Amino acid sequence: MELVTPISNWNWTPGGGKTHIPDGFLDPITSLAFYAISLAVIAFSHRKYFSDGGGDVSSLSVTAAAIFAAQMLNWPIPGGTSAHLVGGALAAIILGPFGGCLAMFLNLVVQCLLMGDGGITALGANAFNMAVVDVFAGYWIYRTALKLLGEEKRGLAAFFGGWVGITLAAAACGVEMGLSPQFGYPLSVTVPIMTAWHFALGLVEGVATGAVISYLARRSPEILYRG
Amino acid sequence: MVSRKALTVIIFLVVASPLFGVIGAEVVGYREPLEVAAEAVGLTEGEPIWGGILPDYTVPGLPDAIGYIVAGFAGVAVLLAPATLRGRKK
Repeated sequence: MELVTPISNWNWTPGGGKTHIPDGFLDPITSLAFYAISLAVIAFSHRKYFSDGGGDVSSLSVTAAAIFAAQMLNWPIPGGTSAHLVGGALAAIILGPFGGCLAMFLNLVVQCLLMGDGGITALGANAFNMAVVDVFAGYWIYRTALKLLGEEKRGLAAFFGGWVGITLAAAACGVEMGLSPQFGYPLSVTVPIMTAWHFALGLVEGVATGAVISYLARRSPEILYRG
Repeated sequence: MVSRKALTVIIFLVVASPLFGVIGAEVVGYREPLEVAAEAVGLTEGEPIWGGILPDYTVPGLPDAIGYIVAGFAGVAVLLAPATLRGRKK
C-alpha cells in the first residue's frame, strides 16, 4: 500500500499547483485523445457562449483572472498535501457552463505557458478534467440541487456543485493516469483512489464555492448566470 | 471593463497568496506529492517540454515569496488584458 498512497494525492502540487498533470505522465495516445475531446468541447462552448447573445469578453476575462488568483492560495496540509480551490463549478455558476468552460481553459493556458504549471502535452487532459468535467458536471449538480432545495438555498446548491464537480474531475484524472502505461497502475487502482481522496478533499472546494456564491447571491446577484 | 471591486479582490488574493503557497508550505515541510508518487513508481519526471516563462511561479533572482506575487500579477495581467482593452475601446 505504501506505493499506492502517494498517488492518491499526486496531483496536489505546490506553488499554486492543482490537478495539473505534467509532461511525461501520459502516453501520446491518451494525450492526443484528450486534446481532441477537450478542443471539441471548447470550440462548441465558444460558439454557444457567444451566439446566445450573453457572451461577454469582460466577464470572461475577469472571472478567469479571479480564479487564477484564487488558485494561488493553497492551504498546505501537514503530511505533504495541500488543498485549494480549482473553481470549475464556481466559474460555471457565474458565467454559465459554456462561459465557465472558456474561462477555465484560458486560465489553464496561462498557467501552462507562463508558469509551466501542467505539461504542454497534458494540456488536453488537464482541460478535460478542469474545464470540461468540473465545469459541466459541477454546474449540472448545482442546477439539480437548486431545483430540489429551492432558490434560497443557492449557497448549499453551490457547495454540492463544487464538491461533486471536483470529485468527478479527480475521477477523470484517475482514468487518464490509468490509461497511461507510464504510471504503472491499472484503472482499477487509479480511479478509486483519486475519487475517494478527492471526495474528502473536495469538501474544501464545496465550502469555498458555496461561500463565494452565497455572498454573490446576496451582494451582487446580477453577476450570477441565469440559465 | 474591470470593476474596481473585482480588481481589489484579485489584488488581495495575489498579495496574500505566498502566505499559503510559499511560507505555509515551508512551515509544514511540504514536499511535492507528485515527486513522491513518481519516485514510488520509478518514473523520472525529467525536463518538462515547456518549463514556462516564470517556472513554477518563480522569478529568477527574486526570493520565492516575492517571485510568487510577481508571477501572480503577471498571470492576472494576461488574463485581464481582454477586459482592459475592451474597457478602453468604449
